[in-house]
Amino acid sequence: MHCHESSVMRAPRLTSGLLLSALLPALISGCMGAMPVPLNGLNRQLEQAGGHRSPAMGERWLAVIEQRGGREQVQLIDLQQQQPVPLPGLNRADALPISVSVDARGERLALVRQLEGRSEVVVYRRSLQSLQPIAMGPGAIATAIGLRADGRQLAVQVSRDGLWQIDLVALP
Amino acid sequence: MLSTAATVGLAGCNGDSMDLGLFNRRQAPPAALGSAQQRRDPALSGDGRLLASIVEASGRSRVLLQEQPGGRVLPLRHLRGHLPHRSPALSWNGRYLAVLLQQGHQTMAAIEDRLTGRLLRLPPPPGARVEQLSLAPDGQTLALQLVQGGQQRVQLFDLSTLLEPDRAAGLRSSNALP
Repeated sequence: MHCHESSVMRAPRLTSGLLLSALLPALISGCMGAMPVPLNGLNRQLEQAGGHRSPAMGERWLAVIEQRGGREQVQLIDLQQQQPVPLPGLNRADALPISVSVDARGERLALVRQLEGRSEVVVYRRSLQSLQPIAMGPGAIATAIGLRADGRQLAVQVSRDGLWQIDLVALP
Repeated sequence: MLSTAATVGLAGCNGDSMDLGLFNRRQAPPAALGSAQQRRDPALSGDGRLLASIVEASGRSRVLLQEQPGGRVLPLRHLRGHLPHRSPALSWNGRYLAVLLQQGHQTMAAIEDRLTGRLLRLPPPPGARVEQLSLAPDGQTLALQLVQGGQQRVQLFDLSTLLEPDRAAGLRSSNALP
């Protein structure tokens, strides 16, 4: 690689997460010379709302698994409105979300979750508030998922006979 | 090259699960002839033409970029080293490939522009460890999952001053890849 060395190793140790966010552009370097800009308003909201994992980006959407009060649930955030939108029928108290993905328009979400000791794949259509399970076949344990940005295909990481594989599933 | 449309088996028809039919499901094409490698972290380009995944070989994890559905492996200029790789993501037309890579003792996000051959590296904030990334389909926003102070959190970054948009056909504002 022909990049300049990062300045991050010489940066002073900071303690505040928000301060880190604000200063991150000065700590980042790359081959292109300019710096990415942290979205401080949204980052502050996310930090105040608790822990989050498994981010998935649409064009103006962020799907995440939110950790709050000992529970985890899928959340879809409208990045323009800077607030979550309701997902009626998607989250269940007895299910543990594992991996989530969203299409570009924020219309379809794909989710791997653990329910009654088994992993299952579901596709949620927001305009219809419908939830459709996707059968992965016998012996396949799904653990991660990627939804194509146009919402027409799933890429699912599955464990089958001790081997990690990727299944591609076309969606109607 | 092996057949690229090896079907996984009969589509599910148990209970209320969606009946996807035999030809709506297949395994990702193999990375090499006759190989049965561990594959994980799949990511599709928005147009469906490309699949990025992490392949484990000889105990090393590296990102693999393949055309769909043929499986032809596409070269990556900057991402041959700095192993292990994980958590790849692709933009709409596959112009940008983002991935986590190892540089020294540090894991950082990097984005290869396949059109210009340039690389953007994004070290995490001090004291934070980056675990996962997601790139918006147009390449204008990056989400990082960080661990800091024992807590997992997600932070967003605007890349619009760094990367041209890579939009769906008809909305494209950057040059098309061959």
